[in-house]
Parts: sequence; structure tokens; C-alpha cells
Amino acid sequence: MADADAIRVVIAEDSAILRDGLVQLLTDRGFAVIGAVEDAVGLVQSVASDLPDVAVVDIRMPPTFTDEGLRAAIELRREYPKVGILVFSQYVETRFASELLAGGAAGIGYLLKDRVADVADFAEALVRVASGGTALDPEVVTQLMGSSRRTDALAGLSGREREVLALMAEGRTNSAIATSLVVSEGAVEKHIANIFSKLHLPPTPTDHRRILAVLRYLEV
Amino acid sequence: MQVRIPEERVEQVSRLSRIILREPFQTRCWAELGYFLASSVLAFAVVVALAVLGIAGLILTFALVGVLILAGGLRAARAFGRWQRALAWQALGDEVAEPEPPIAAPGFFRWLRATWSDGTAWRAVLYFAAKVPLTIFGVWFALSVWIEALLGLLSPFISNRGSTSFGLLGHLTAGNVDGGSPVGLAAHFGVFMTGILLLFIAPWPMRIVVSLDRRMMHLLLGPNSSATRVRSLQESRSRTIDTATETLQRIERNLHDGTQAQLVALAMRLGQAKEKLEDLGDDAGEAADLEVIRQLVDEAHRGAKEAITDLRDLARGIHPPALDTGLENAFTTLAARCAVPTEVQVSIQARPSPAIEAICYFCAAELLANVAQHAGASRASLSCAQHGPWLRVVVRDDGRGGAGINRVGSSSSGLAGLADRVNAVDGHLSIASPSAGPTVVTVDLPTSA
Repeated sequence: MADADAIRVVIAEDSAILRDGLVQLLTDRGFAVIGAVEDAVGLVQSVASDLPDVAVVDIRMPPTFTDEGLRAAIELRREYPKVGILVFSQYVETRFASELLAGGAAGIGYLLKDRVADVADFAEALVRVASGGTALDPEVVTQLMGSSRRTDALAGLSGREREVLALMAEGRTNSAIATSLVVSEGAVEKHIANIFSKLHLPPTPTDHRRILAVLRYLEV
Repeated sequence: MQVRIPEERVEQVSRLSRIILREPFQTRCWAELGYFLASSVLAFAVVVALAVLGIAGLILTFALVGVLILAGGLRAARAFGRWQRALAWQALGDEVAEPEPPIAAPGFFRWLRATWSDGTAWRAVLYFAAKVPLTIFGVWFALSVWIEALLGLLSPFISNRGSTSFGLLGHLTAGNVDGGSPVGLAAHFGVFMTGILLLFIAPWPMRIVVSLDRRMMHLLLGPNSSATRVRSLQESRSRTIDTATETLQRIERNLHDGTQAQLVALAMRLGQAKEKLEDLGDDAGEAADLEVIRQLVDEAHRGAKEAITDLRDLARGIHPPALDTGLENAFTTLAARCAVPTEVQVSIQARPSPAIEAICYFCAAELLANVAQHAGASRASLSCAQHGPWLRVVVRDDGRGGAGINRVGSSSSGLAGLADRVNAVDGHLSIASPSAGPTVVTVDLPTSA
């Protein structure tokens, strides 16, 4: 179980039933829910005053129920780059994902609401986003891949390398990828090194490369 | 030397002469003569009738009765057009397509407006007006030949034949036949022979006149030029599409905000409970955890039941099952569910089309919901009656009144939506709601759409 202690969360969700459920679930798992609001305006205020580690944001919120949450998320990203944003939506929209990831994938998550059913995975994703990682829904990854304008950058990758890359895009760790593909962690590391070199990503001090690879992969 | 005539030429001439020789003995040529006479009489009567109505209408315009008389004249013109088409069909076997029926609109003023703007009626008036010069021309150009021919044929039996030549032949034969001079048998024989000759000529001018008339008939008594109809259909289609899209959006919104959110919350609770149960296996028997699990499952259970209810309501909003057995049952169910005691009266001869039934139902449902929510009424009534091709739904309550179609505010937006829905099928919704009540909302719908 991911370490949720002292992670400060703000929740923006217009459906009361879901908001209450999320508050209860996250509190139960040790997160510190410091705000639960029902619209984008409340979200921006709450983030500005409390500076949480991560904000869980529903895309469709009042007043127009279109993309208020996303607009607010992009604004927050600009103003408070340290605050992780987990966008939380009933549907996956490629345009939303692209806009969200345009400024980099660090501390960004985009999950389908259904994922809360797997409580542990959801909490883990939230922890990851709060600590600057990425959590993309497999659905998001598939759609972005499908809409990718240029695939030749990835043409050089082997089938296995692509699988590894897709799992990286979801934000999985090396060990999680190894478990998922039923290979050793060493094998995963080798694949990842190959991916980096094939995508011409030189080594850097941080593991920023991971995110760059994912972004290249997703063509955003 | 013999002049050689090409064979096909001989063939052509003989075919032509055969046609000419046979023509007077074909029913068609006599039918055209009969049609010309009958339609001339009809046109004369119609023009007189329309002129009388028109003049009377114009004179009485100031008294408003005139407007009515003119409208009556237009309706009559439509009927005359129908007679004319029937005549053409009976006599000539020429079928002129039925023009579109007048726009049936309930209510006196809407009837008046629909009648005044009835293009078909105006075109019928135009037809009969144009028929006058055509008839005069026909008498001069075609009927005169027939009369000359028949008089010539009958001349042996008429003792003292005066100079009866008139029309086209009157000019051509003037002076040739002079009944006054003693020309004797030879002259009479000549007249008779001329009659025979004209008998073979007479069908052709008549054919020209009749075919002119037929042209005009197809142009003016047939269906309206499609342009106007197309425009009105386009308008109603775009309204229909808008309404359908709005309906879909509403359903999506309801699903998204209601059922889907409920199910996600439900899955979330069950997921939590599942994890707790797994933890329970690890460090056996923590009463507190058990209590939490019980609570989670309890909430999930309640959530599931709510989701079911929501889904049922939503499904009912898409197609009410109560409608399956007809409007009467559906209305009774609606009234029974309404918080305000509601009296139901339904008199329908035949079931309207499913789309109309659905609109009727949603109107009634929405209006009764409004009564229960806003009117503060103690009694309400819901009636549905068929008047010919129209269905009238009336919802009445004794509440505080003041209802209206308000497209800006949120309070009456339901009524605006209803009005759009009703308009989309050429129906009409009207509200009478003085500030102290009672409120009467009347919805008129065509029985088929």
C-alpha cells in the first residue's frame, strides 16, 4: 500500500455522492483531505489558500458542465506547478489529455472515474501524482496512441518495448511493469534503456527521461 | 413518265389520312368537346360566384364580415378546383395530382390566417380567372368549327338556314354562303359537304384549346410548387433535430450526473469493503473493521437501490411503459401519481401515432408536475379529446396562476421546452394563467406526425 500519510488533497467534484465517497475513502486511507469543493472557482480558491500536494479534479463541473475542471487544472498547473493534478472524469477525451499533458507530464494524472473501484490502485496513482509522477488511464494511453499523428518515431521499437512504454505511460514503476509482463525487473530496465536510446533521449540526472519518453510516445 | 413517289411518303400520307378520317369517330374527340362545354359552364359559374363573393367581401371589409366572406371564397375556390379536377378526370382521364390539404389549425384566427395564406386556393382563383379568356378563345377558335360542321351536316334538315357562320370560320367564309340568295339545291349540297369536311377538321383546334387548358390545370390546380412546402418541411425538420439533440443531451446529463455517479460511488464503497475484508483475513477479528465493512456494504446496498430507481425514472423518461396500452391508461397512471387530486377525461376515437402519443404524454406529465410543484392547487383536471385530425390536451388547475413561457429564467423553462416539442410536429401550446389563477394550458397536436 502506497504511503498516503500527510499527503494533502483537495477534491473538486460536483456530484455530492461522489465527493462524499471520495472524502471518506481518502481519509480512510490516511490522506489528509483539506478541501472538498463543488466547482472550479472553489477549486482555484482552495488551492491558492491551502497549497495542497495534489488536487483531484472532475472535468465536467458547473456552470456549463463541459470542461471547467480542465480549464481550472491548466490554470493551476501554470500558477502552482508544484501541485499535482489528478483529473478525474467519466470519459476520456483525447483533446483534454493532450491539453493537460502539453505542459509536461510531471505531476499529472488522468483517470477514468471507474478506477476508484480499485481503491488501492487509485490511492497509489494519487500518491504518485502528488510526488511528481504520472498516472494515465490505460484508456487515455490507448486513445492518445490511436490519435497519434506520427508513428514513425516509434517504428523502431520492438513489440515488447512498446508494451513497456505503454505501461510507463500509465505511470507504472519498473517492478510493476515487470510483474505485469511477467519478466524480471532487469529485463524491464534493459528494455527501457533501449527505448531511451531509440528515442534519442540522453541520460539526465533525474528520471525526467521517463516522462519525456512517454510524451514522445503519446505525441503530445 | 410517271412521277415516282417514295414508298415511305405514301405510307406517311396514308397513315395521316387514316388518322384524320378516323378522328371524328374516336371517343376522345367527342370527350374533348364535351369537356370544353362542361368546363366552360363550370368556369362561368365559378367566376360569377367568386366575383360575387369577392365584391361582397370587399364591400363588407369594414364590418369584418367581409374578411370572413373572402376567406369563405378562398375555401370555395379550393372546392371548385377539386370539381374541375374531377371533371378533367371523368371526361379526359387526365389526372391532376391532389394539392396538399389546407393547413388545419384549430382556433378561429389561426384558421382565418391559414385560409388567407393558402397558396392552393389563390392558385385556383387564378386558374378560373385565366379560364375566362381561354374559353372565349376556345369558342372563337375551336367551338365555332364544331358548330359550323354540325350545322352543315344538319343543313338538309333545317329549312331556312340563316347566316350562322361566326368565329374563325365566320371571317373565312363570310360572303361564301349566303342563305338569302336562291342558290337552290347545289348551295345546300355545298353547305352539307363543307359540314362533312369541317367534321374532320374540327377535332384539332379543340385539341389545342383543351391541351392548353390541361397545361394550365396542372400548373395551377396541382400540388403547390414544391419550394414553399420544402421550406416549411426544412424548418420543422431542423426543429425536430434540435429537439431530439436536446433530448439526447438531457438523457446523457441525467445518466452522467445520476446513475453513473451513483454506480461509481457504489463501486468505490464495494472496493473499500473488499479491501477491508482482505485486511480482515490478515489480522483476524477486529470488531471495529467489521462495523466499518457493514456500514460500507449498507451504503453500497442503498446506492444500488437508488441507482435502480434512477434508471427506471430515466427509462420512463425515454419511453413511458404506461403508454404501451394507450393514452387513457397512461393518463390515469399520471393522474394517480400526481400529488394534486386530478380528474382525467379521455375521448379518442383512434390511437394517434406513437410519436404524438409520446408528446401528449410528456406534455401531460410535465404540466401535472408543474401543477404539483408551482401552482399550489387543490384540484386539477387533465383532458384529452380528438377533434377530427387534431388532438387537444388540456390541463387545468385552480392554483395561483401566473405561469408563462419563460425562456430566460429557469422557473418555466420546462414550458418553453414543451412548446418547442409541440411546435416540432406543427402543434401548438397556449397558456392562460391570470395572476390569481386558474391556469389552463392547452396543447393541440395533429393525430399523426
